[in-house]
Amino acid sequence: MAPSLTRREALGGAAAAAVLASCGGGDPPPSTGPAPGSGAALLGSLLALERAAIAAYGTCAELLSGRALQHVRGMTAQERGHASRLERLITDLGGEPAPGRSAEEQARTFPRLGSADDALRFAEDLKERELRAYLEALAELPSVDLRTETSRICADEANHLGAIRVLRGLPAAQGPFVTGAL
Amino acid sequence: MAERSDVELLEELLAREHRLLSAYEAALRRDAIDVKLGEWLRDHEREHVRAIEQALAGRGERNPRATVPAPELTAALRSGESFGRYAIELEEQTVGDYSDAAASIRASGLRQPLGSIMACTAAHMVALRDSLGYRQLLN
Repeated sequence: MAPSLTRREALGGAAAAAVLASCGGGDPPPSTGPAPGSGAALLGSLLALERAAIAAYGTCAELLSGRALQHVRGMTAQERGHASRLERLITDLGGEPAPGRSAEEQARTFPRLGSADDALRFAEDLKERELRAYLEALAELPSVDLRTETSRICADEANHLGAIRVLRGLPAAQGPFVTGAL
Repeated sequence: MAERSDVELLEELLAREHRLLSAYEAALRRDAIDVKLGEWLRDHEREHVRAIEQALAGRGERNPRATVPAPELTAALRSGESFGRYAIELEEQTVGDYSDAAASIRASGLRQPLGSIMACTAAHMVALRDSLGYRQLLN
């Protein structure tokens, strides 16, 4: 059943949290595959997040035009590249990337968006959550190689977040430490 | 290539941040950047310098990098456009350095904060592109 969200919830963190919480957490764990602690499970979570984001940006794109649409399309293309890289990393670790949900299943978890402003605000919130997830993964992934791959994706996500904020008429970064502090 | 110690990685990042800070200070003095944007960027770099110095404190013997004014900076300061292009390149190199450092630093507690500064640096590139009137903000 599609979630029933108020407009306020739909445009705030609650909506993005609902989308991302439902992006694959219910998938059964693989019975065979990489050893615990290999990082494959964490990469699987990031992959589910990327797939949810790809579907969400597709929904956002329906409400956008001009420069904003061009950028959201560009971001979606890069997100597809990220998803492919994550799938390869999981495979290299001996795992099998989960098939993920269909676009229709993903779309049922999205809030109703009524305008381009709604779409960009939703996209910004999703992007912040993606970025935070990659930053957390940097602290937890066990090998330098895996961290290097995720760090590069993280830089792309930060670039996307800055672009969305500028498209919204905001400063590209909220402050000197995006989503965290030293 | 020999693996670098955490102190060496942090010293390199600090040198990068000093270079960016000097560049924005010089651009503001020479009217080579919009004042509001230049002050915003400069203030972020000051915070990054402070944060890296804080991370270095108590990590044993320091090995500070010598910082000399980059000859390209002088040429870049001739106009707002040339400085903008120079700054984008410098920020891009800095993103690369942070990305490598956040992945390879041994102190796991520093990986996320370094990634956080990297994210801000990536956003600086967006702000600079926008200030130059580039239609494309993405890398």
